[in-house]
Amino acid sequence: MDNDEGDMNTALMVDGNAVAGQLEQIFGRDMTMTVARCAGCARDAPMGALMAFIRGPGVVLRCPACQNAIARIVETPTAIYLEARGAAYLRMAPQP
Amino acid sequence: MQSVLEWQAGTLTAVRPETKQTKSFTFALPKWMVHKAGQHYDVRLTAPDGYQTERSYSIASPPERVGELELTVERITDGEVSPYLHDVLVPGDQLEVRGPIGGYFVWDVALGGPLLLVGGGSGVVPLMAMLRHRAAQHATLPARLLYSSRSVEDVIYRDELDGLARSDGAFEVFYTFTRQPPTGWTGYRRRIDAAMLGEVIKPFDKRARVYVCGPTLLVEAVANALVQMQLPIEHIRTERFGPTGT
Repeated sequence: MDNDEGDMNTALMVDGNAVAGQLEQIFGRDMTMTVARCAGCARDAPMGALMAFIRGPGVVLRCPACQNAIARIVETPTAIYLEARGAAYLRMAPQP
Repeated sequence: MQSVLEWQAGTLTAVRPETKQTKSFTFALPKWMVHKAGQHYDVRLTAPDGYQTERSYSIASPPERVGELELTVERITDGEVSPYLHDVLVPGDQLEVRGPIGGYFVWDVALGGPLLLVGGGSGVVPLMAMLRHRAAQHATLPARLLYSSRSVEDVIYRDELDGLARSDGAFEVFYTFTRQPPTGWTGYRRRIDAAMLGEVIKPFDKRARVYVCGPTLLVEAVANALVQMQLPIEHIRTERFGPTGT
């Protein structure tokens, strides 16, 4: 990655709060308080605090500590793909 | 049961210019639901050919304003959604929205304080919802806002913030200007750093509940400084904006 691209990516970065609606649509509940454990560095972070890159064809959520890609989401006209091999687990409170 | 994910058509009832680049838009919502300060709504535009694009915008209004939703939006040149809101939408028009969304970057008086809000540019919007909620509840818990802007012309809600600071002994606002401080300005005139943060947080010390919203670099700097000060991480909530700059 060259520097310009790096700066551009940083400038366009938001956080998991920005995709809260999309996540809630997939999981049927608010996910911003759900804790994701990074499969790379084992750090826990609420999904609302993950680094989010949303200006591409899909969404990439990265670990705020090591920048490992925790999850990728792509929507096509007929399906939603959620790839989450970068997460060791998600931990959420049971639904009331 | 009605879902926050259901799109509904809000009707624009009022537009108020805040700064050269930002306006506040008030919508009447047929299926209004009570929100928490700090949450946002998704806005969806659909082109005649079916192309859709969505953005999420922080709620500026307090939950006490029943039936209405106020969004304060910065106009991003080259943006897909904000120029439409700024330049095309007029009162009476409808806009597709869904919400309220998010459970991480939220505060209500039940969570308590003391409350330290740190904002850069239009990052002040969800913080304003928190302050408006606090005022509507007549809460007396101490609150401080540290607000970074390029110049005084870029300060959103200036009159309201100054009015609140005058009338409410438990609230103080601290401005910092990163490019052009007003003539005779004796306050802060640099980007928010650890020293500035240390001064503003001082009376609250480690008891502070902190909400930080702004461009990524500001959020990173503030969050790192707070961790250095050994604030409990669960009392620090952050929300990063995209390419807005302060």
